[in-house]
Amino acid sequence: MIARDFMLFLPELTYLVAALILFFMCLPQKADHKAIYAVALALAGLGVAGALLGMGQEGHLFFDAYQVDLFSQVFKLILAVAVLLVVGICHGLAGVEDRYHADFFLFLFTCGLGMMLMVSAVELMTLYVALELSSFSLYILVPLRRGDNLDVEAGVKYLFIGITASCVMLFGMSYIFGVSHTTYLAGIMDRLPLIIQQPAAMIGLMLTLSGFFFKLAVFPFHFWAPDVYQGAANQVAAFIATASKAAAVALLIRLTALTGGTSLYFIDVLMVLCVASMTLGNLVAIVQKGIKRMLAYSSVAHAGYVLMGILTMSELGYSAAVFYSMAYMLMNFAAFGVVVMVATSGQNLAISDLAGLHKRSPLLALTLMIALFSLAGIPPTVGFTGKFLVFAGAMQQGYFWLVLVGMINATISLYYYLMVIKAAYLSESPAELPPLVVSMPLRLLNYLLIAAMVYFGVCPGGFLDLAQAAVRGMMGGD
Amino acid sequence: MSFPILSAIMLSPGLGLLAVLFLPRENKRAVRWISLLSAGLSLALTLYAYAVFDTTAKGLQFVERVLWVKSLGIYYFLAVDGISLPLVLLTSIVFFTGVWTMWDLEKRVKEFFALMLLMVLGVYGVFMALDLFFLFVFYDVSLFPMYPLIAIWGSTRKEYGALKLTLYLLAGSALVLPGILYVYFQSGLFSFDLMEIAAAGLPPSVQSLGFLLFLFGFGVLAGLWPFHTWSPVGHVAAPTAVSMIHAGVLMKLGAYGVLRVGMFLCPQGLVEWSPLMATLATVGIVYGALVGLAQTDLKYVIGYSSVSHMGLVSLGLATGTLGGVDGAVFQMFAHGIMTALFFSSVGHIYDRTHTKLIPELGGMAKVMPRASFFFILAALAGIGVPCLASFWAELLVFINGFQVYPALGTAAVLGLVVSALFMLRVVQRTFYGEKNQKYAAAPDMSAVMVIPRALLAGAILLFGLLPRLMLDTIQSGVAPLVELFK
Repeated sequence: MIARDFMLFLPELTYLVAALILFFMCLPQKADHKAIYAVALALAGLGVAGALLGMGQEGHLFFDAYQVDLFSQVFKLILAVAVLLVVGICHGLAGVEDRYHADFFLFLFTCGLGMMLMVSAVELMTLYVALELSSFSLYILVPLRRGDNLDVEAGVKYLFIGITASCVMLFGMSYIFGVSHTTYLAGIMDRLPLIIQQPAAMIGLMLTLSGFFFKLAVFPFHFWAPDVYQGAANQVAAFIATASKAAAVALLIRLTALTGGTSLYFIDVLMVLCVASMTLGNLVAIVQKGIKRMLAYSSVAHAGYVLMGILTMSELGYSAAVFYSMAYMLMNFAAFGVVVMVATSGQNLAISDLAGLHKRSPLLALTLMIALFSLAGIPPTVGFTGKFLVFAGAMQQGYFWLVLVGMINATISLYYYLMVIKAAYLSESPAELPPLVVSMPLRLLNYLLIAAMVYFGVCPGGFLDLAQAAVRGMMGGD
Repeated sequence: MSFPILSAIMLSPGLGLLAVLFLPRENKRAVRWISLLSAGLSLALTLYAYAVFDTTAKGLQFVERVLWVKSLGIYYFLAVDGISLPLVLLTSIVFFTGVWTMWDLEKRVKEFFALMLLMVLGVYGVFMALDLFFLFVFYDVSLFPMYPLIAIWGSTRKEYGALKLTLYLLAGSALVLPGILYVYFQSGLFSFDLMEIAAAGLPPSVQSLGFLLFLFGFGVLAGLWPFHTWSPVGHVAAPTAVSMIHAGVLMKLGAYGVLRVGMFLCPQGLVEWSPLMATLATVGIVYGALVGLAQTDLKYVIGYSSVSHMGLVSLGLATGTLGGVDGAVFQMFAHGIMTALFFSSVGHIYDRTHTKLIPELGGMAKVMPRASFFFILAALAGIGVPCLASFWAELLVFINGFQVYPALGTAAVLGLVVSALFMLRVVQRTFYGEKNQKYAAAPDMSAVMVIPRALLAGAILLFGLLPRLMLDTIQSGVAPLVELFK
């Protein structure tokens, strides 16, 4: 029995142990950066191995507050891969003050741990605690940056907005508890569809969701995103833009599934948020000068696309959203990875700083181009297939106009992505900049990312089947 | 299973692409040779397929069909019929001659040929794929390389032209994708197999909306008026081979999309909307001809004549008659070859003189007799001189257009007269008359560079003299289709 529970909790345990090891590495006065990096990389690799071993496990833990199913394990794998990728581009960690390198990795792992706990939590309090574990880790990670005070401003902003979102969420949870008399999702799922038309239930659910809308940066909960992306170290921004979003998508799926798709009002509200996020994110992204701010606004738009899959409340729509969060993790990470590798001293990049990239490093330029085309939803990339699936989900429910709006938005977004591609491929840098040296492992990482973005774009079958099985289990399981 | 010849044709640029990607940037010779070899390979395979294609059998041939994504009903489904095979042939010819034409390129050679190979891979895919998912994927794959191709290697207002073109075309595909998903779910089959959906038939209301989406979505790329404005700008900005492929092949993708997706899936939609389509087509024919009159840039002239000629394709399709659709498909082929020859000749003139403004040129027939010959031949083909391929195509479209829509048919003929007038004026001013001394010493095409142009000219003559060679093939594909419009 113990052994079985141990297996169920394996991915989380790996992360817990990793966090402990890193904690001890924080203690010495003089730290060896190379050793810390190597240890962190090895631990992140172990984390992926743990998540892989955890695939296929099913069961309950901690008085049924914690559910291990295919749905949670798929997301844990996505999260573990995201952590590994982020650690992979932390070599040297030029953007973070030297004495905090071990702390940086420590909080990266606790954050990852919190997210993993989150996707398995099926009880409101457990969920809240898991969410706060990941949030507080991020509150610390954001201001760890070296240099200007931009990071402190971003950190404070993130902290305050985040805490407000948490409060709102707790308030919402209290309503849900009030109307359903339980904090277990399984119990709520039995009762909520019957009472969702009551204002209290509706408000409770919307307020609870807003905590995750905040994480996903859905309009109007997106105000932190551009400042935090800009203020945080590039690697931290990459982490927030990938892992954090995937976890939020998982929870939004779990929580919206509670309604059983019975409330039309609820879907209408989600639809408004979806359209507003896509349109506002894309339009504001057009005028951005800094690449991280541009990516922040584009993440608002992508939150809208994911929401389109979620609001269908159907198996196809949910699995499309799962697929999309995987796709988004890959392509957004690829874009951020290029930013990290080009900003060798950890500085923020303006779009115009990418000028001449095709000469300085053809590989990075190619990765960037494919990542951006993928974000714009151009085939044969994973971003296209993700959008295709999400739109298919919406069309299945008969939301023809929503799909049309989504496609128009995709065309708008192409404009600003093309501007970045133009900078990287067409513009010549004013000063003759030296070629960028990309180390062999990082070259390999770029090749892998390109291959993955194209592979999942052309052959979505395997992962889609997995996502569908996961969603089916999640919807019908309880 | 027999040899998958269609996959082989499609993947030969793919293989070339992979090989080019792994070559060092400095090795320009190898990049060119690999590109030419992969183009040659696909041309040879296409010629073989064309030769063994059975024109007496109706329906699809060389079928390759593999279930790709089970849960959504996506198939890797390649096949050709009498409609798509001529277009595959067109692609092969233009691709091969285009690579050859760009032999002397020196700027960022590797990237140029890599993008071009990728684009052609997409074009082949569109003409062969009969699964809506893959068709759309290939469609976009053939479009987005245009942006870097024009913006990096182009001329006149290249960044503006590239951006306008890309956004227009992808806005078009923003209508196509909802259309595809719409018919997919309305059919209730959970299959993206185009033939399966077409065979099952869709409710009339679905066909009506679906056809409109496909007409305007694909119509943007076909240069359908009033969505044509990207096309002359894009043609002018693009480098020679890209103009060739773009005007010669890519615009046909749009017309092909309207035909294959719009008309196959929504025949009732065509019947309902054909007056609108015919009107827009005719406006395009006349408008293109009139605007062409006022142009002083050789490439703009060809660009607007393309709008006019592509209007003929749309008019032919809108008639929904056997002869009209036959003519439209033939016109796609003939216009493709002709425009490629046009741009290929202009490209040479521009490379040597660095101008394509008609008033600055003049007397070029004496300076560059070879380049001039090819341009004039293309111009004659465009006018519709008998014994050249376009003649038969235009004749068929006019006869049928006139029968179905007498008023529009008359206007279209008048439009063609105007375009003949302006073409002849361009030829007269550019190639005859006063010689501009500045360019008197500009060298003519070398014998090696004559070969690709001669291939194109040969195709125009061959199918002009022996139209049955093409019409029989086309008819075998069109005949089953027009049954649907009755």
